[in-house]
Amino acid sequence: MNPNRNRLIFMTLILMGIGFVALVRSTVDEYVLSIINFVGINIVLAVSLNITNGFTGLFSLGHPGFMAIGGYVTAFLTFPVARKSMFLELPPWLANLELPFFPALLIGGVCAGLTGLLVGLPVLRLRGHYLAVATLGFLIIVQVLITNWESVTRGPLGLNGLPAFTNLWWVYPWVVLTVYVSWKLKFSSYGRSMISIREDDTAAQCLGVNLFQTRVVALVVGAFFAGVAGGLWAHLVTAITPTSFSLIMAFHIVVMVVVGGTGSITGAFIGAVIFSVLTEIFRPLEESLDAYGIGEVLMALILILILIFRPQGLFGSREPGFLSVRDRS
Amino acid sequence: MGKKIGLCVFGVMLSLLLVFPVLGAETIKLGALYNLTGGMSSIDAPALNGAKLQAKLINEKGGLLGKQVEVMGIDTKTDQKAAATGAKKALANNVVAGLGYGDTTFVMAAAPLFQQRGVPFVTSGATHPMLPQWVGDYMFMTPFGDDDQSFAIADYTVKQLGAKNVVVWTDNSMDFTKALSKFYKQRLEELGANVVLEDFFMMGDKDFSAQIARLNSANPKPDAVFISAIPNEAGLTVKQIREAGLTLPIVSGDGFDTELVTTVPGDKLANDVYFSTHTYREDNRPEVLAFVKAYEKEYGRPPENAFAALGYDAVGLIADAIQRAGTTEGKALRDALANTRGFKAVTGEISYTRPSGVPMKGVSIISVHDGKYKVEEVWFPKQ
Repeated sequence: MNPNRNRLIFMTLILMGIGFVALVRSTVDEYVLSIINFVGINIVLAVSLNITNGFTGLFSLGHPGFMAIGGYVTAFLTFPVARKSMFLELPPWLANLELPFFPALLIGGVCAGLTGLLVGLPVLRLRGHYLAVATLGFLIIVQVLITNWESVTRGPLGLNGLPAFTNLWWVYPWVVLTVYVSWKLKFSSYGRSMISIREDDTAAQCLGVNLFQTRVVALVVGAFFAGVAGGLWAHLVTAITPTSFSLIMAFHIVVMVVVGGTGSITGAFIGAVIFSVLTEIFRPLEESLDAYGIGEVLMALILILILIFRPQGLFGSREPGFLSVRDRS
Repeated sequence: MGKKIGLCVFGVMLSLLLVFPVLGAETIKLGALYNLTGGMSSIDAPALNGAKLQAKLINEKGGLLGKQVEVMGIDTKTDQKAAATGAKKALANNVVAGLGYGDTTFVMAAAPLFQQRGVPFVTSGATHPMLPQWVGDYMFMTPFGDDDQSFAIADYTVKQLGAKNVVVWTDNSMDFTKALSKFYKQRLEELGANVVLEDFFMMGDKDFSAQIARLNSANPKPDAVFISAIPNEAGLTVKQIREAGLTLPIVSGDGFDTELVTTVPGDKLANDVYFSTHTYREDNRPEVLAFVKAYEKEYGRPPENAFAALGYDAVGLIADAIQRAGTTEGKALRDALANTRGFKAVTGEISYTRPSGVPMKGVSIISVHDGKYKVEEVWFPKQ
C-alpha cells in the first residue's frame, strides 16, 4: 500500500461527506437536520477531546468550559449592534462591533485556546485524577464567572436571539478540519511524543520528549476546537446560558471518547455519532409508552455493556485497517 | 452463542417498538415541550399532566372543530440543546401551537423557533415580564409577570402589615429570584418604605445562620423580611428564622407556594408567613374545584403544585382561541389568542389587554398561621 492510495481514500470520504450534506439538506425536515448538526458538533468535540484525553492521556473534564468561552465570545461578536444596546452594557468598542460568523468563530476558538494555555501552565503539572479535579474546578470557575459578570453576560438569563448562522455547510468543514488536524497530529513525530507520554512519561522524558510543552500543546489544540464548537453550538440553539455547558456535558463527551476507544480518531467519531443519535432514536419509544427517561436508562445500560465486554472501546487505540498505511497504533 | 441470540431478540423487539408510530385519525396537534427528566422535572412534569388532562376533557366533550386534540409531550431533559431540537421536532410534526416550560431560559431556546414559523407559543409557567417583547407577537404567557407578583406582595407588606423597614434576602443563582427582588425593592421605594439590609444566598444552601445573625442585628429594626427563594429554600429559611426566636413577618413570592413552608418548620413554627402566588391554592371558584377533582380522578393524587393548573390553563387558552378563530391557521389563531378577554382559567381570569403581552391577572396573597394557609386578598394590576 502506498500513501497515494491513502490520499485517494480520504478524498473519497470527504467527497462522500459533501454529497451526504447536500442530500440531507434537500430531503429531510428541520428536526432531523438539527440533529445532524448536533452530531457534527459532537464529533468536533469528541475528536478534539481525544487529542488531550486519548493521545496524551490527560484526563480533562474542562471541555465545556472552553466551549462556554468560545460560545460567549462568538456570540458577542456576531450579535447585531441594534440588539446589543438593548440587552447589554458593553464597552463602546465592543458594543459597536459586528463581525461575520467566520472571523467570530476563529476569535472564539483562539480565546478558548489562550485560556487553555493560561489554565494549562499551572494545572498540567498535575496528573491523573488530580488533573481531572483541577479541570473540573476550571469548568466551575468559568460558570460562576459568567453567572456573576452580569453587565456583560446578563447572568443566569444568558444571551438569546442570536442569529441562526449555523448549518451543515458550517459544521461539516469544521468536522473535516478537526479530523484532519487530529489525524496529522497522531501520525506525526509530535503525536508519537504525545502517545509516548501517555504510555510511560518517564521513558518518554528519557528519550528527550519535552513533557510539559507537549501536554500544553495538546490541551491548547483541544481547547481551540472546543471553542469553535461552542460558537457553532450557540448559533444553532440561538441561545446561550451559563448552565448550557455543564458537567453533564463534560461526561457526555468523555463517554463518546471512551466508547469509541480512547486514542482512536475513528472511534471518537463513531462514538459521537452513536451517542448523539441514540438519544433521539429512543424518543418515539418514550413518547408512545409515556415513559420519559427510559432513553437515558437504555443508554446507560449500553454503556455498561460496552465497558464490560469491550473495555478498550470499539476501536481501542487504533484506526481501522483500510485507512492506515501500515498497522499503526 | 445464547447471549448473542438474546441480544438479537432484544434488538429486534426494540426496533419493532420504534417502527410503530402512534397512528390515528386527523387530530389537532399541540406540541408540549417540558423538562420531564433532570433538574426541572418537579415543576414541568405536573404541568404536562395538567395539559394532557385538559386535552382529555376537551376530547370527551367532542373535541375542537370536530377533531380530537392531541398533546404531543416532548421531553427536553433540562437541556437547552434538547429544547431547540424538541421545538424543531414539534414544528416538523405540524403542531398548530406550542406550549410549555416553567422557566424563562428554556422558553428562550424554543419559542423563537415558533415565532419564526408563525406558530403561537404559550408558556405555562415562565414568568419573566419581558418574554413577549424578547420573542415577538406569537408569544403568550399563562401566568402573571414577576413584576406583578412582587408589586402585590410589596403593597401588602407596606399597606396591610404596616412595614416601614424591610430586609431583602435573594437567591443569587437564579434569574427568577433576582428579578423578583429587583421589582420588590422598586415598589418599596415607590411606597416610601426602606430596604434596611440586603443579603444573599445560593440555591442549595442549607445553613442560614450568618444571614439570620445579620437580620437580627439590623438597624433600624426591620418590620419584615422578604425572601426571594424557590421551594427548597422556602421551608428551611422559615424554620431557621423562627428557631432563632425572630417573630417578624416573612414575605415572599410564588417560590413559597409549596407544602414545604409548613412541613419543614412544623405547624408551630410556620407562622406569620405571607406570599403572593397564582390564584389557585385554597381557592373555591368552581373552575378550581372541578380541576382538582378531575386531576385526582385521572392521576390518583391531588395536583402537585400550581404548575399543574397552569399547564391545564395553557391548553385551555389555546383551545378557547381555536374555538373562536374557527381555524387552526397560525395568523388567525394568534389574533384570537391576543383577543382573549376574561378567559376563566383555573389560575384566575386571563385577558391580554396590555401592550407588553403579559396577561392582566389577579395575584393571591396567602397567609400562613399555625401551619394553615388562608387567602388574605386578591391583588389586581392597575392597567
